[in-house]
Amino acid sequence: MKALIVENLCVKADSRHLIENITFTVEEGSTIAIIGPNGAGKTTLIKAVLGLIPYSPGSVLFFGHPVKHANSHVRVGYVPQKLEFDRTFPLTVSELLGFTVPPLFSFPFFKRKGEKRHIIDLLEIVGAHELADRAVGSLSGGELQRVMIAKAIVNDPKILFLDEPASGVDIEGQERFYDLVKRLNKEKGLTVVLISHDLNVVYRFADNVLCLNRRLVCTGRPAETLTDEVIKTVYGEMMGAYIHSCHEHD
Amino acid sequence: MITEYLTYPFIQRAFIASLIVGILCPFVGNFVVLRRMSFFSDAISHSAFAGIAVGALLGMDLSLSSLVVSLLVSLLIAFLSEKTTLSHDTVIGIAFSGAIASGMLVLGMLKGYRADVFTFLFGDILAITDTDLLLLLIISVLSVAFLLFFSKPFLQISFNSDLARVEGINVRLFEYLLFFIIAVVVTVSLKIIGIILVTSLLIVPAAAARNLASSMKRLFSLSCVFGLVSGILGMTASVYLNTASGPTIVLVSIGIFFLTMLKPSAG
Repeated sequence: MKALIVENLCVKADSRHLIENITFTVEEGSTIAIIGPNGAGKTTLIKAVLGLIPYSPGSVLFFGHPVKHANSHVRVGYVPQKLEFDRTFPLTVSELLGFTVPPLFSFPFFKRKGEKRHIIDLLEIVGAHELADRAVGSLSGGELQRVMIAKAIVNDPKILFLDEPASGVDIEGQERFYDLVKRLNKEKGLTVVLISHDLNVVYRFADNVLCLNRRLVCTGRPAETLTDEVIKTVYGEMMGAYIHSCHEHD
Repeated sequence: MITEYLTYPFIQRAFIASLIVGILCPFVGNFVVLRRMSFFSDAISHSAFAGIAVGALLGMDLSLSSLVVSLLVSLLIAFLSEKTTLSHDTVIGIAFSGAIASGMLVLGMLKGYRADVFTFLFGDILAITDTDLLLLLIISVLSVAFLLFFSKPFLQISFNSDLARVEGINVRLFEYLLFFIIAVVVTVSLKIIGIILVTSLLIVPAAAARNLASSMKRLFSLSCVFGLVSGILGMTASVYLNTASGPTIVLVSIGIFFLTMLKPSAG
């Protein structure tokens, strides 16, 4: 089944196209990476697909449902590139995750049996169980990204959108993060849409790649699609394909 | 002795009212402070002034007319914010001054001195009737229960509205619901605190609690404790010192706010 169908998507700002005529599909349970230079429209594409910014024309279907109604049918997880929030917001990590624990309408200050355990379990999955009682505003970049991943998977989503999720995270943190995403992808059949600047990540973790530079440059399997010529078209003449020697983790 | 004063029914009602408002206003005020809507709540309370003037001119119930006009102004602010490129505070400033100007204009059309109108302007907790008290209690219980039950979406939107949208929360609907609750709470609190000071009781205990709290649970509990203490101490002081109750309650809450500022900063 198609987890995501995007057709002829255009986003304009002041009559200028930010992205133009983007068409692609994502198979359920697969991982697709979106690559492109700065300003190529990667974040704009994800935000438009998620219904966070308007698009016209174009259509987006999540598991066959229009984006406006997607969340009542399909649970969606999202980790933004840079989470904008007030660092002085008095909120602990477990309270933040508790916002997303169903049911949406309940009394959050009286946690139901099992809810606290569920939150701790999720934090353990992302290696952040020691952060449960920390204020969200006091977290480092890497800690916040792990917490945001935990938040994105609280509801057991069917599709997860990750916008450069490992930016600002150290190498070890990045490794652990992508291993976690791969594990969720394999174990839970989670569909993953990932923006990354790192071609090694794309080679190691993505089933398909989508090259973007305001328009769709190419799409296909990374090993077949990311030729020197394509990379030069997308990133410019100075770039070439360099495949890292690391192998995919089991 | 305060116990002697408490034998008078109007003092009893005033104390009960100050306790209820002392919990209600800070509880709702937390949402106002977290959403950075202090100026909005000020505009709503001053819109109530226009509503009261219109109600007095048309011979309507003043609480009802203030609620209707407050709601209309909050909808106008939401509409203009959405349909124009003007910043939110500019739109609120326009609505705010429009409401004040309309209120003053209509007030000038009234014949003679209207004590009831000025009761709303400055508040008179000692003039609270049993019916007022019952209405205040019912609206307080409903408002707090409503905000508690829907606190996940309200707080999620305050934290980050994009994440809330992705998780399927109708952000616009909840914004309008919050406007509605603020307008209702401001209206029921007017007789006690007065138009000019009602925003203070919404914001100051919540801001004081925010100085100390690192979690939502602590924020909500501390703000209500500060509101309650302000209500009790303010009322007691106003009885002993023979001062106006509303301003005394607000000044006590501001005193608490400055005390919370003494908290040593981390690191």
